[in-house]
Amino acid sequence: MQAAIPSQPNTALLKLRRRVAPIVLNGLFIAILIFLMLPIALTLATSFKQESDVLRRPPVLLPCDNLEKGTFSLRQCRFVTEGYERVIAPKPNPQALFGVQLSGRMFSTYLPNTLLYATASAAVVFVLAGMAGYAFSRYHFAGRKLLLVMILAITGIPLLTNLLALYQMAVDLRKAGIPGYDERMFMVMVYVGFQLPFAIWVVKGFFDTIPRDLEEAAFIDGCTPIQALRHIVAPLALPGLLAVFLLCFVNVWNEFIAGFLLLARREARTAMFGMYDFLSQNIINYQVVAAACVLVAAPVVILFLFTRNTFFQVMSEGAVKG
Amino acid sequence: MSTRSLKTQAITSHVRERILRRGFFSHTLAFWLLLPSLLVIGLIQFYPGIYSILLSMQDRRAGRVEWVGLSNFERILGSGAFRESVGHTVVFLAGYVAVTMLLALLLALLLNRNLRAGGFYLTLLFIPWVLADIIVGLIFGLLVVPEYGLLSPILSNPALFPPKGINIPSDPAPRPWIAGFPFPPAPAMVYLILASSWRALPFITLLMLAALKTVPSEIIESARIDGASSFQTLRLITLPLILPTLVVALFNLLLGGVNGIGLVFTLTRGGPGTATEVLSYLLYVVGFQRLEFGRAAAIAVIMAVFNLLLIVLTLRISRGGERAA
Repeated sequence: MQAAIPSQPNTALLKLRRRVAPIVLNGLFIAILIFLMLPIALTLATSFKQESDVLRRPPVLLPCDNLEKGTFSLRQCRFVTEGYERVIAPKPNPQALFGVQLSGRMFSTYLPNTLLYATASAAVVFVLAGMAGYAFSRYHFAGRKLLLVMILAITGIPLLTNLLALYQMAVDLRKAGIPGYDERMFMVMVYVGFQLPFAIWVVKGFFDTIPRDLEEAAFIDGCTPIQALRHIVAPLALPGLLAVFLLCFVNVWNEFIAGFLLLARREARTAMFGMYDFLSQNIINYQVVAAACVLVAAPVVILFLFTRNTFFQVMSEGAVKG
Repeated sequence: MSTRSLKTQAITSHVRERILRRGFFSHTLAFWLLLPSLLVIGLIQFYPGIYSILLSMQDRRAGRVEWVGLSNFERILGSGAFRESVGHTVVFLAGYVAVTMLLALLLALLLNRNLRAGGFYLTLLFIPWVLADIIVGLIFGLLVVPEYGLLSPILSNPALFPPKGINIPSDPAPRPWIAGFPFPPAPAMVYLILASSWRALPFITLLMLAALKTVPSEIIESARIDGASSFQTLRLITLPLILPTLVVALFNLLLGGVNGIGLVFTLTRGGPGTATEVLSYLLYVVGFQRLEFGRAAAIAVIMAVFNLLLIVLTLRISRGGERAA
């Protein structure tokens, strides 16, 4: 039974709606984005201010007003790179690359360390998760389900719980005086341990989507399992493994508490420790803190912008699996 | 059928059987592939977990190990600081989950309209997710520094925030409605919730968007033809269909919220007073500032149990969803 058919819809109104709706929607989005990006934009603005503009009361968003006349014009903005210079602290040094030595701790110590930890951990996770993910995807050995669930459950143990024991381990290892031991190695292992469980799940998921027939064909043609893995499966799984590499890189880059608690020597500490340290040192130099934020965040933000589709893919995949 | 394909089939099934039949340790390749990962996970995740459980039953303050049974738990559960920080954690989680889920659902529904610039919006929206929590804490902290922070003229305006305007880093919590439960929260707690939500929003939005894309448009269209309003379609069709994802998002937020600590470190450091001292920060204070490892381990074990319960629940519910689908 059909209810009363509505009278002819007002086509002019519908057309107008169809034309206006996207404009309204886009406008709404731009408004939301401006609001959400505000903290980042304001930090960028602060990082380019000079100290006297940072310490004005009431604060100004942009240092573009004339102090005597009180006029505002974008042409008279006093944007400086003082904050950045104080973070980087370049010093002329004929021996260094390009004749300039970056003497600020952030650039001479913390950022290189973070780069090392992030790259090394991501590389190790890439290899180990690739191996383990392949084994979980292809070999239905006894206890496989149990191991998988245990690995997933382990991701739920809070990092802080483990840190109590890892802290003790770090202290013991330092005291043990193993020749050639560097706490950086222990740190990389800790990061690998933190990142592996989730990575294994993601990689296993990627391997599961690659049909087994391909390998079986390779076996028949005389490949050993290792050869089949290297020449057939690994190239197909490469996008997934790269996603894991990137995710791990960003996670380790951004990690703070483990590095803060486990590393004893200042020479081994991370960029995030450097950021935390700023809080205690430059409490009045907000432009320096803002500049440091921009400098430390920029590499991962740029990396993300270039590889965003990989991120979106791995995250929605991982999310669906819980 | 040619002899080649028969032979192929025979070998294939032989290989498959060989792979399927063997157990874990007899299967050498799988064993060697798994061994390094299992060793690392065992050393960095499994052993420390066991160690924490043992540590929670010890007293190490006097420089020697003394077994004290469950007295660490008794002391912790009985202490005012613990009960207070559970209150803070509950308030934080409730605010964090509510704000993030609502905003993320709104954004995901808007993004699901298939705008031409949708990908661009999503990318920009995602930048906060890439930022470290330490940096997010600093960014939000700089905005509300009294007098100099860029938001301080708004916040300290008595017309907007009666009676005297608010000063986020130092204003104490108002008198609680229920004695012992920190609600209404201090301004610093509200700000901490907003900053945390800001950072979690992109991920949760992406989750919901992915779920919304799986809702068949035919169902929505037919509901529309039957005369359902947008809100009715949302409430009666879309939301029930993406419910499993909503649950996953919820648990994700709860897990991240309980264990997250970086933002507290740079934004409030538990203050003013103890107004933002959530469980994870209390664990840090007890364990690494007061060096009472046994008690810190007791807190850690309590948190781990909560986490495992959440994970088991998530698995149950998402599995249940799979079976129903």
